[in-house]
Amino acid sequence: MKSLVREGVDTIFGYPGGAIMPIYDALYDYKDRIRHILVRHEQGAAHAAEGYSRLRGKPGVAMATSGPGATNLVTGIADAMCDSIPIVCITGQVPMAALGTDAFQEAPIIGIVTPITKWCFQVTKAEEIPEAIAKAFHIASTGRPGPVLVDITKNAQIELFDFDPSAKYTFPTRKSDIEPDFTEQLKEAVELLNNAKQPYMLIGHGISISKAEKELKEFIEKSGIPVASTLLGLSSLSTDHPLYMGMLGMHGNYSTNKLTNQADVVLAVGMRFDDRVTGKVSGYLPNAKVIHVDIDRAELDKVIEATIPIHADAKRFLTAITPLMKRRDHSAWIKQFKALDAEEKKEVGDAELYPKEGEITMAETIRILSEKTKGGAVIVADVGQHQMVAARYYQFRNPDSYITSGGLGTMGFALPAAMGAKVGDPSREVIAIIGDGSFQMTLQELGTIRQEKLAVKIIILNNRHLGMVRQWQELFFEERYSFVHMDNPDFNKITDGYHIPNELVEKREDLAAALDRLLAAKGSYLLDVRVEKEENVFPMIPSGANIDDIRIK
Amino acid sequence: MKYTITIESENAPGTLYRIAGTMLRKKINIEELHVKEVDSKRHLSRFTITIFLEPDLMAKLIKQIERIIEVVHAEYRAVDK
Repeated sequence: MKSLVREGVDTIFGYPGGAIMPIYDALYDYKDRIRHILVRHEQGAAHAAEGYSRLRGKPGVAMATSGPGATNLVTGIADAMCDSIPIVCITGQVPMAALGTDAFQEAPIIGIVTPITKWCFQVTKAEEIPEAIAKAFHIASTGRPGPVLVDITKNAQIELFDFDPSAKYTFPTRKSDIEPDFTEQLKEAVELLNNAKQPYMLIGHGISISKAEKELKEFIEKSGIPVASTLLGLSSLSTDHPLYMGMLGMHGNYSTNKLTNQADVVLAVGMRFDDRVTGKVSGYLPNAKVIHVDIDRAELDKVIEATIPIHADAKRFLTAITPLMKRRDHSAWIKQFKALDAEEKKEVGDAELYPKEGEITMAETIRILSEKTKGGAVIVADVGQHQMVAARYYQFRNPDSYITSGGLGTMGFALPAAMGAKVGDPSREVIAIIGDGSFQMTLQELGTIRQEKLAVKIIILNNRHLGMVRQWQELFFEERYSFVHMDNPDFNKITDGYHIPNELVEKREDLAAALDRLLAAKGSYLLDVRVEKEENVFPMIPSGANIDDIRIK
Repeated sequence: MKYTITIESENAPGTLYRIAGTMLRKKINIEELHVKEVDSKRHLSRFTITIFLEPDLMAKLIKQIERIIEVVHAEYRAVDK
């Protein structure tokens, strides 16, 4: 406990059990310093720690017992690994003498999580605890952040030792984390960018992780270079910025994808050329010169061979390059984006954002929500069509406003992550956007939301289907709708059971007022919004197709 | 191509598992393996591993291995036929 307090831990999301009872017993005496939030499933603890970390800007902590408690954390750990989110998981373990004997609730959690953690360590002696905890927080939050796990055997939890409150643990920078001097590459990058005809900047999660939003704005405003964002880069730049062109990726904007291959110089900062962004790699950026900046050396040349790979933190790079940039105007190039935006609006946007008849659409719900919140809320989206629609149509005005499971694509992420986000920053309006399928994966966390009185707002975009899979079956599997229909329970009755106010919204004319009530609520509030079941998300780059082959309908 | 990889790492339990796991992700088979402590003061071990791999993947693999926290340094060389 002292080690955790020393690391500045104020919140733990956890669930007690046999092998972690001594730690919970100690926690009882720290109730005034550490807020323990009792989740309803350990997966919720891991996702809540992720949500907390995204808004608080320091590692979230999840705690669980041995065996099933620990294995239930696994999905959240893998999620944090994919999306570079610092979390520290602490698990109980059977006593050292019982390790490897198939003892009750024994699972080899170190063996299980090794490939999906940045680091993990088993503590078998009490005196190892202070250094292990200090190292866990250091590793989770430095360099490219990620999840770590410390597994503590029960005997180590019980043994007594002299805690040295003045002990300082320092960890040398690892060789692969040392960012080399980039003066030469910077010169070459400046040369390329200052002479480019159609330069294009791609931003990812790295901007928000290194808190480089201001530096990004200064860079583009000087250089005039248009910017597109990955899913996790969203909200790093306000969507109304004149140089913000939109989102990349399979369901990104038409212009941002279609024009990628028209760029002659691409500057990619804090993004990793995920396959959802590149489409078929052999058809991606065949002619462009690529400057790739990332804090993780292993990302450079991993997918795309960069002309100039730069191993650096986004903020440090942007701070260094901006003074060297020429002031330029790329309005002719930007006009090409605007022309395609108009096409997208005509073919897709107008109909789904402002429908006149039929059922409510996901898009109009997000549009109205965005207008009513003036783009100021934190949107925590789950995985599926609703995630893409929220990403496409919410007009983000502030950094750190879109939290979602990007890399792993974990259904069930949003409810617990929203819970963690609200604890991480209670001053912000946190709204979870969840599909009916995703909601049923972790809905038990309504219990946590109720017990902890967390003012998390929840909107279920309910199409009675696993919508994204249904869309793929319609488009690519000859409408063979294999196991995508859901005969759902009454979500309002379920939410009533948790004593959380809620409404069913079925008619367009009721939507705006229901959203007003959701936003006005002091505590948690849920809307079950019945939306069009055959709504598809377009544009779309079909899986395995070239980025240029993006379909608008 | 046949390569020999040399890895210097902390002499700690699980390091071999992490290195082998990095190779497993790419379905790389280990042909030969040798591990020995080389610096008892600094608790450093040296792994010598022989694998077959396509040349363009080798540098990427080394960078992935160097991401492992316990690994201090990794390098490779092609094995002469």
